[in-house]
Amino acid sequence: MSGKTSIYRFMSAGCNGCDVQILECLVPRYKLADLGVEVVFTPEEANVLAITGGINVKGREELKKAYEKLKPPKLVVAVGNCAITKEIFDKGYPMVGPPDQIIPVNFYISGCPPRPQAIVTAVAKALGATLEEKEEYWATPEGFRGKHEFDSEKCMGCGACAQVCSSDAIDVLEDNGKRFIKVDYGHCSFCAFCQDECPTEAIKLTKEYHMLTDNRNTANVTNEVDLFKCASCGTYFIPARQVEWALQRIENEVSEYKDFHRNLRTAMELCHTCRRKISNIRNAKKLLSQLSPKVRAV
Amino acid sequence: MPEIVQIGPYRPQLLEPERFELVVENNKIIDANIELGYVHRGIEKLFTTKTYMQNLALAERICGICSGVHTLCYAQTAEGVIDVTVPDRARYLRCIYMEIERLHSHYLWFGVVTHSLHENNAFLKIMGEREHVQDLLEYLTGNRINYLINTIGGVRRDITSPKTERIQKVMDNMKALSNYLLALLDENGSLTKKTEGVGILPKDKALDLGAVGPTLRGSGIESDVRKDDPYAAYGELDFEVITEEDGDVRAKSLVRARETLESIKIIEQALDNLPSGEIATKPGEPLEKEEVGRAEAPRGELVYYIKSNGTNIPERVKVRTPSFANDFTLIEMLRGDLLQNARIIIESIDPCFACTDRLTVLDTKAGKKRRMILK
Repeated sequence: MSGKTSIYRFMSAGCNGCDVQILECLVPRYKLADLGVEVVFTPEEANVLAITGGINVKGREELKKAYEKLKPPKLVVAVGNCAITKEIFDKGYPMVGPPDQIIPVNFYISGCPPRPQAIVTAVAKALGATLEEKEEYWATPEGFRGKHEFDSEKCMGCGACAQVCSSDAIDVLEDNGKRFIKVDYGHCSFCAFCQDECPTEAIKLTKEYHMLTDNRNTANVTNEVDLFKCASCGTYFIPARQVEWALQRIENEVSEYKDFHRNLRTAMELCHTCRRKISNIRNAKKLLSQLSPKVRAV
Repeated sequence: MPEIVQIGPYRPQLLEPERFELVVENNKIIDANIELGYVHRGIEKLFTTKTYMQNLALAERICGICSGVHTLCYAQTAEGVIDVTVPDRARYLRCIYMEIERLHSHYLWFGVVTHSLHENNAFLKIMGEREHVQDLLEYLTGNRINYLINTIGGVRRDITSPKTERIQKVMDNMKALSNYLLALLDENGSLTKKTEGVGILPKDKALDLGAVGPTLRGSGIESDVRKDDPYAAYGELDFEVITEEDGDVRAKSLVRARETLESIKIIEQALDNLPSGEIATKPGEPLEKEEVGRAEAPRGELVYYIKSNGTNIPERVKVRTPSFANDFTLIEMLRGDLLQNARIIIESIDPCFACTDRLTVLDTKAGKKRRMILK
């Protein structure tokens, strides 16, 4: 894009954290002014619309009006996760967004809120310019909560992260003998509860903070694990690693059950439906006798 | 003939969307209406769909500027319902984190005000120096805003050796910034001319309208939850409640500038007297009871109410934010003042509409918006 870049900020239903970050971008040390970027006060003067926050019923018409008034080439940037997926306010009753269902959106800058450095870099990228990234200001500190990363060796696919997630950003999907743990970081509030609760320390929030994309469906990190077949009926029901992990824990923590280890394994290898069938001893014996060759094979 | 001037809703002269209708005659404001609801997100309903722990992240996102104190107040109230004792070290750490937040919030306010008054050099200096506070928060907690540092039963991150020195270093720099702010506001300061005698809120009106925080203290009333009803470790720390008598925008600015120096004092004391021990206790089961908690946010008194039914999801959470209490005082301050002062008056209460907008009523059945009209 040539000429002057004028940004008009449209703040909608969010927490205004992202607006503060945009204000911070104007600080001399990020050198945004060197790129010929200015922040203007009316949509008529602007050619870039920066949306922060999800859209609620009151903001919908106002957003359409602002977009119409924008000067060409009408670049729309969604800043922050609320503007991408409504994040934690997703299920709030007055919410109608996300904005890309109302007007076309060109770029998405993920983060809650995105660091000013991420916004400045994204703007420079959109303009085809490069910025000098001084280590002093651009490095992320130790313990920063950024983009997620899975340790595929450690992840057993139990889905504890999805249970504790504060904004429903983690999905547990199953397909054809595989389980997928999908973290939608465009929906994440970066609270790191998943990192705290993971029993095998498999999920980590890294120091990576550049999360710019032009397609919000790609804003995710996925890990896949193999599922285990029920020893009786053959349906997939639990990740194989989770069975091993649970058995190991029983052995470590209740060592007196060690002798029953084989029996425990047999019980664990049955799905919920098959387990319910064991209503009396006779049924149980029958089922066990059916299973025994398979069990020996394991 | 009076005419109606509209400010907002989406006008970036205001940091956040809100519509003000000012009735103006001969360039003088004679009345004002406020329309809220542009940031309404249905948070109080969302509170009842998430667990106590998940709600921490939601409470924080009520407001992005005073996010820490929302989690603190929510956690303190929830601690009454869940019955867990906070370790001593955590109480002191909470004071440190919350005072750093107060610094960043007050400096941001000065940034916004100097921006509105076209004091560009002051704006760049304040915002540039303020970045050090933001960097410090990021370094201590892992995020610049929405740091989620308070949890039910304590805090999530400790402050140990290299962190302590860094806080000390930043605080030394911030003393210089606070003194610079005070210099802007002294008799010959550039802000004094533009803010003196503007938007006066008399003492009795401030009390009648239920103002809180720096807005109330700027009218000469000594009121601060940290002193009146000490929470965390504030009861054990020595600090002053700042008040100014004039009630105009300058008085409110002075209160905030002097408060930043008090905050630095609190942080230094808390660091010196930091007890050793655990930083968090594991919370137990929620009991069937109700609880009210309050805390002093940078903008004033923040109140949380939680009703528990014994499950891990609260039955009702009610929030009263300081900006909601202060909004009503705007009408008094705007009335009788000049139109060109409207923006600085609106900004003088440090309005945070993200906080306030959980409370607007939308009458969707009748297909009409029910406005909040202040007369």
